[in-house]
Amino acid sequence: MKNKTINLVAFLFLAGSSLLWAKIDLVTLPERDSVQMTIYNSADITLVRDSRTLTLSRGDNNLQFSWANTLIDPTSLELFTKTMADKINIMELSFPPRVKDLGLWRIKSDVSGRAPVEINYFTSGISWRAYYIATLSTDEKTMELEGYVRVTNNSGEDYENAQVRVIVGKINLIDQIAALARRQYPYGSPLPMPPAEQQPRARRESAMLEMKMAFGAMDSVSAAKPKEIIKEGLSEYFLYTIEGTETIPSGWSKRLLSLRQADIPVVNFYKYEEERYGQTANRFISFTNDTKHKLGNEPLPDGLIKAFRKVDKDDYLSYIGADNAKYIPIGEKVELDMGKVQDVEVEVKMMDFKTKNYLFNNPGGNISGWDEERTYEIKVSNYRSLPAKVEVMRNFPHQYWELAKQGEFGEYKKVDMDTVQFTLELEPNSVKKFTYTLTQFEGDRRHSM
Amino acid sequence: MGQKKVFLALLLMTFLACRLGEARIKLVALPDRDKAVVRLDNPAATLVEEERVLLLQKGINKVDFAWKGVQIDSDSIRIQILSHPKEVTLLSVSYPPNEDALVWEINSPQPWEEKIRISYILYNIDRLVTYKFMADKKETKVDMQSFLILRNFSGEDFENAGFHLDYGEPFAGSVQHEGTKQLLFLKKNSIPIEKVFTFDAARLPWDPSKVEGNVGIPVTYVIKNEKKSELGEFALWGGKTRIFQDDGSGTTIFLGEDNASYTPAGKKMELIIGDSRDIVVTQHKMKDNRINLRRDTNNRVILYDTEEIIQVKIENFRDEPAVLTLIQHIPGQWDMSETTHKYEKEDAGKIKFLVSIPAQGKETVVFNYNRRNVR
Repeated sequence: MKNKTINLVAFLFLAGSSLLWAKIDLVTLPERDSVQMTIYNSADITLVRDSRTLTLSRGDNNLQFSWANTLIDPTSLELFTKTMADKINIMELSFPPRVKDLGLWRIKSDVSGRAPVEINYFTSGISWRAYYIATLSTDEKTMELEGYVRVTNNSGEDYENAQVRVIVGKINLIDQIAALARRQYPYGSPLPMPPAEQQPRARRESAMLEMKMAFGAMDSVSAAKPKEIIKEGLSEYFLYTIEGTETIPSGWSKRLLSLRQADIPVVNFYKYEEERYGQTANRFISFTNDTKHKLGNEPLPDGLIKAFRKVDKDDYLSYIGADNAKYIPIGEKVELDMGKVQDVEVEVKMMDFKTKNYLFNNPGGNISGWDEERTYEIKVSNYRSLPAKVEVMRNFPHQYWELAKQGEFGEYKKVDMDTVQFTLELEPNSVKKFTYTLTQFEGDRRHSM
Repeated sequence: MGQKKVFLALLLMTFLACRLGEARIKLVALPDRDKAVVRLDNPAATLVEEERVLLLQKGINKVDFAWKGVQIDSDSIRIQILSHPKEVTLLSVSYPPNEDALVWEINSPQPWEEKIRISYILYNIDRLVTYKFMADKKETKVDMQSFLILRNFSGEDFENAGFHLDYGEPFAGSVQHEGTKQLLFLKKNSIPIEKVFTFDAARLPWDPSKVEGNVGIPVTYVIKNEKKSELGEFALWGGKTRIFQDDGSGTTIFLGEDNASYTPAGKKMELIIGDSRDIVVTQHKMKDNRINLRRDTNNRVILYDTEEIIQVKIENFRDEPAVLTLIQHIPGQWDMSETTHKYEKEDAGKIKFLVSIPAQGKETVVFNYNRRNVR
C-alpha cells in the first residue's frame, strides 16, 4: 500500500511538467466519462458531477485527485460509487501535509475490476445570467419576448461535452466558494493563519490551445436547430437543463435562447410619484406571467430587459429603454420601468393654501392645534398618438388628513395610511385636469376629528 | 547520567532527522509508541493518551520526555504505571530550564519491562463536524451523513492512532502534522423534515416593490433530534451543513448550506436553505392614531393610547399550498382589538401567525391593536 502511494506521487511528479496549466487529474484514470454542471447565479458556485471509471484492485486502493490552478472548493469533494456500493467502501479523504490542491481517497474494495464512480465538487468561476429582448408591436398592445441564458466559464478548467444546467433562485451560502478554493489548508487550521495568498487565476495561454480544438470539434457536431431548454421546478428553485451537451472552455461564454413568445398582451402606463421618480412621468410596460399572456410555464429569472418597438410595417425598430427585471414568479404581474419620458407630462401645482381651526392651550397659552388646507391642480397631458393610462401617486406627511376632489379622473384609492393613487385614462393627444383639496390636521386637531 | 542523556539525545536527533526532519515527542527509554488514543469529544481541547514500554533498571530511573515543536499543555501531562502499578512508583517530576521537556524519576524494585500510559492535552489538533443532507424530491425527508474533519497542526504525526468521539464509530488511522482528514462517521436515512417559510416584519422589507433587487422569504428545513427521526440518542454537534436534493433524474442539485447549531436530543435543528421568491409578502400600516389623550396642567399630552392597523398581503405563486410563519413585533403594553387570523404570543413584544395560503392563491392578514399608556 505504501509503495502504491509512492508510485502515484512519482507519477504526479512526472506529469507535473506537462500539467503546469489548469488541469484536474485523477491518477488512476485521467479521462472523464461524462460531466454535468449545475450553475447558480445568486452566488458564484457550480456543482460539478464528474463521472469516471476506476480500475480497482481487491483491498486498499488510493486515488489521488489534484486541482491546481482551478477554483475548486476542496471541502466539497465527494466520491461515490455508482454500482456495487456494498462491495466498495470509501474509507476516508485526506489532504496530505505540505502539498496544495491535492486529495487522497482511500477506497477499500472487495472486488477487483472496473468500477464507475462519480466525483462531485463545487467550483467557482462559472456563472450564468439571464437577459431579455422585448419587441412591442406598432400599436403597443402586444410584445414578443425573447429570453436568453449566457453561461461564462472562468474556472480554469475546460468542460467538454458537459451537460449544462442552470438554477434560478437564491440559495443560502455561508462561505464564498472562491475563498474556500484559495485556502492554504482545505478546512483551515486551529492556529491563527495569515490571510490566504491571492492565487493567480488559471493561466490562459495553455488553456487557449485546448479551447480552439474543442471549439472546432463542437462546431462540427452542432445541430441545425437551436437547442431546447427543459425547465422544471425543484424545491424553491427552477432548473433549466440545456438539451444535449456543451463544450465551454475556460475563458469562454455561451449564449442560449431560453424563451421566445410572440403576441404577449401588454399594458402601457405611466407613473408619477415625486418622491420616487422626481417631477417627470416614468413609462412602464406591464404584463402577467400567466397563460392569459401566453406565458406562465416558468418563472422568469431576473435580468436586464431591453425593450424595442416596431415603428413601421417594415419592422424597423425604435429603442424604448431597459429595466433590470426582478425574478417574476408564475402568475405575478410585472411592471417594467422604462425610465423618464417627455411625451406624457404631469404637472402639479398648488393653487391655494389656508390655515384654520386654531386651538390654544389654557387661555393665553400657545397654539395647540390647527388645520392646513392645500388645493392642488393636476394636469396630465398625453402628447402621443396612442392612448395612455397614468397613475399619479401622492404621499402625505402623516396620516391625519381628509381629501376632497373634483375633476376628471377615473379612480382614486388609498394605498396606505399616508398615500393615495389617482388613475387616469387619456385619449391620444389629450389633456385631463383635476383638483383635490387636502386638509391636514396638526397638533391637537388630529385628535378632535 | 549526564552523559547518558546527551547520548540519548544524540541518538534521537539522528533518528528524527531522517524520519521527520524536526523534533518530536521523545521518550528516551523507548522512542516508539505502542498505541495512541486521540480523544476528540471535547471541542475545546484534545486529549492524547499513548502507551509505551519502558525498560526499567532496578532502582531509580530517570525518564526524559520532551516535546520540542509540539504544542503540549505541560501541566496536563500525566503518567500511569500499568504493568506493576503497586511496585513501580513515580518519585518526582522536574522540568529542565528553557526546554519543552520534563524528567520523571521512577523507582522500580526489579529490572522490568514496564508498560506506561502518558496522557496530555495537545493543542492545535481538533475536529470539525460537517453534514451532508440529501432531500427527496418532495422534500419530506433527508438522508444524513455526518463527517469528521480531523485537523492536525500540533507538530506531531499520528500513525495508526485510535480516534474517539463521543458518538458514532471510533476509527483508527494516521494523520500527519499539517494534514487534514475527512471521515464519514454517522449515517442516518429518511429523517423526516418540515419545510418552513418565515416572514419576520422586523427583518424583511414591508413593500418588496419598493426595493431594488429581489426579496425572498427564507426557507428553513427543520429536523427533530428524536427517536421518530431515527435519532434522539445523543446530541448532534454543530457544523457546516450542505443540503442537496434528488432531482428525480438520477442526479442532484444543491439547495443551500447553513451552520447547524449544537442540537441536544429532543431539540430541533433548523437550517436555512435559501429564499423562496414565489411567496411574496407586502405589508402596510393602514392606521396609526393617538387616542385617549391625557394632559398635564399646561394642556400638553403626557399619556396616550394608539389605534393601529397592519395589513399583510401574502401571495403564493407556487403550485403547492404553503404555510407561512408571520412574525410581527408590537412594542410596549398592547392589546389586540381585532384580527382576521389567530396568532400566538411568542413573548411580550412578538406575535406569530401561521397562515395557510392555497396554491397560486392569496391571503390577507389584518390586525388592529391598541398600544396603551404611551408616554
